[in-house]
Amino acid sequence: MAKASRNDRVSIALPTGVLLQGALKLLARARLARLSAPELGRKLLVERPGLRVVLVRPSDVPAYVDHGAADLGIVGKDVLWEYEGGHYELVDLRFGACQLVLAVPEASKLAGPETWPPLMRVATKYPRTTGWWFDARGQSVEVVSLHGSVELAPQVGLVDAIVDLTASGETLRENRLRVAGVLGASTARLIANQASLKTRTDAVQAMVARLREAVSVGD
Amino acid sequence: MPGGLFTDPSPPALPASIQLGGVPGFRDLLPEEAEVIREAQESLLAEMRRWGYRHVITPMIESTNVLDLGLGSEQRRRLFKFTDSGGDVVALVGERTVPVARLVAGKLRSTALPVRLCYAGPVLSADAGRFHQRRETYQVGAELIGARGAIADAEVIALAARCLEAAGLRRFQVDVGHAEFFQGIMDAVKLPDAVKAGVRSALAARDFVALEDLLSRTALRSAEHELLLRFPALRGGPEILDAAAGLVRNRRSEWALNELGRVRHLLESHGLGDIVRLDLGAIRDFDYYTGIIFEGYGPDLGRPVAQGGRYDGLLAKFGRPAAATGFVVQLDLVWEMLSRGPRPPAPPRLDAAIAWTESGFEAALRLGSTLRLFGMHAVVDTQPRDHDDALAWCRAIGAANLVHCRNSSTVAWTVPGRRTKQLPPEQVAARLAGTGR
Repeated sequence: MAKASRNDRVSIALPTGVLLQGALKLLARARLARLSAPELGRKLLVERPGLRVVLVRPSDVPAYVDHGAADLGIVGKDVLWEYEGGHYELVDLRFGACQLVLAVPEASKLAGPETWPPLMRVATKYPRTTGWWFDARGQSVEVVSLHGSVELAPQVGLVDAIVDLTASGETLRENRLRVAGVLGASTARLIANQASLKTRTDAVQAMVARLREAVSVGD
Repeated sequence: MPGGLFTDPSPPALPASIQLGGVPGFRDLLPEEAEVIREAQESLLAEMRRWGYRHVITPMIESTNVLDLGLGSEQRRRLFKFTDSGGDVVALVGERTVPVARLVAGKLRSTALPVRLCYAGPVLSADAGRFHQRRETYQVGAELIGARGAIADAEVIALAARCLEAAGLRRFQVDVGHAEFFQGIMDAVKLPDAVKAGVRSALAARDFVALEDLLSRTALRSAEHELLLRFPALRGGPEILDAAAGLVRNRRSEWALNELGRVRHLLESHGLGDIVRLDLGAIRDFDYYTGIIFEGYGPDLGRPVAQGGRYDGLLAKFGRPAAATGFVVQLDLVWEMLSRGPRPPAPPRLDAAIAWTESGFEAALRLGSTLRLFGMHAVVDTQPRDHDDALAWCRAIGAANLVHCRNSSTVAWTVPGRRTKQLPPEQVAARLAGTGR
């Protein structure tokens, strides 16, 4: 099919931010590449024999994979909830654990569904997931889509509640918010382009196998 | 568009509601792309007709009552729908297999089966996600209706491969799988119905983490469990049929493996053994496909360029039960593959720019007609020009030759960058036609 060099080289997209350290450790443990976060952060694209690593924003990882610009990607499940695409989700990489929660101000009377108002106003970076979750519970919701500092929104009266990601709950506590419900649990996932699995099966599957093995070794 | 958004010179002031770029998700195809897509469409249809497939044109609009019979809920949701003057709900077609099935069960009811049909045209989606942010895409398809069995399956796969070749693609592979292999596994695994439904939806979403999670919560670990977990890796040459046969213990899957083996053998007889791969883990719409399924992939393109398979259940829904198989080729992706390939298609070129002064106008028109008779692309100017001005015009429109006509007996022939020759118009015509394009 393709030229040998292209055929054997597998490209993987890694996310900036909290999952990057875990992703780099995993690549090292799988003996695929030893890369430092500063080096990758400076170059954004690093070539190693048989491997190309690209560094992109977490929410962009599925786009790189779905369009075939990367064969594989490491990305939080929370990003995949919001992104509809044709990629394969292959392995739970078991790091970067966090929860997507419904949080309300400490002083709020809101708790379980029986306490929700007829129309709930919710701020979030996860509009799709939030919409589905409330819809599945028969709750009308007005989703306010924000891009950052979601914790602020209920304090200034913009919304009744927020849906956001939390690992330790610290940010929520600092902003005097408490958890009123859990939408889902997220960890880092390995995703793959559908055509890469088919046109360059051996090289891609071999790399998937090594990453999978590295995950179980890390347990 | 908000005023003052862009600082570069904007096009002539128009009302803000006029979008010169068209409706989002729809786009204009410029000559470079339009020519390639048109040529690809013609070569695909020509190849299909060489195999005895008759060209049909089905309408852009169908009743939703008809489409609902053949489409899944997700496909129905994505249709552009509106009401007809009589109050009926109609939709812009999102694919053309269902309209062709309606045609075969309706107007072609008395035609003997099997019938071979092909078609081409745009399909639309109300949802930008389906075609990667595009809502309109171009498809060419073929359907073989009324023939069951491996020979018919192999014919359609071979036709798909020859079509991709005819469109100019040189490096591609065809992955062949079988819907019944998966159905057999689902019959055989001992799981509660709720879990089976979960397995199906996890596979449909290609979410193997969810699948593993579902299966790990069940006590039983049969060979079928292992097969499901290894689904994306169940690919390869004929050897995987034996490997899989050693693992499955159910009739349906065994039969599917058997049929796959026969189709693979037949494709070798079609001379296509080297581009066919077997893919037991192909994930497609299992409610629709009932047998052999296949996809065509090119290098470095993240999506299949052709897709098809057997759908023996569809025609019965229109009251004329018949086995059927077919495929579509995505023309947009053919263009992408050609333009990324080693020899990207050359942009269409004008052979001759024909300029004139008042006394040479008649000669210019005659020369234009002559060149077109020889199949050349020739433009006759709409205004008189002197020679320098004509040369600038010729360069601007990118023509390979300039012919400047000043009288009926002699014209000036210039290949930009070379010396001008004075010749009678017939000789210019003969030399242009003789050199070929």
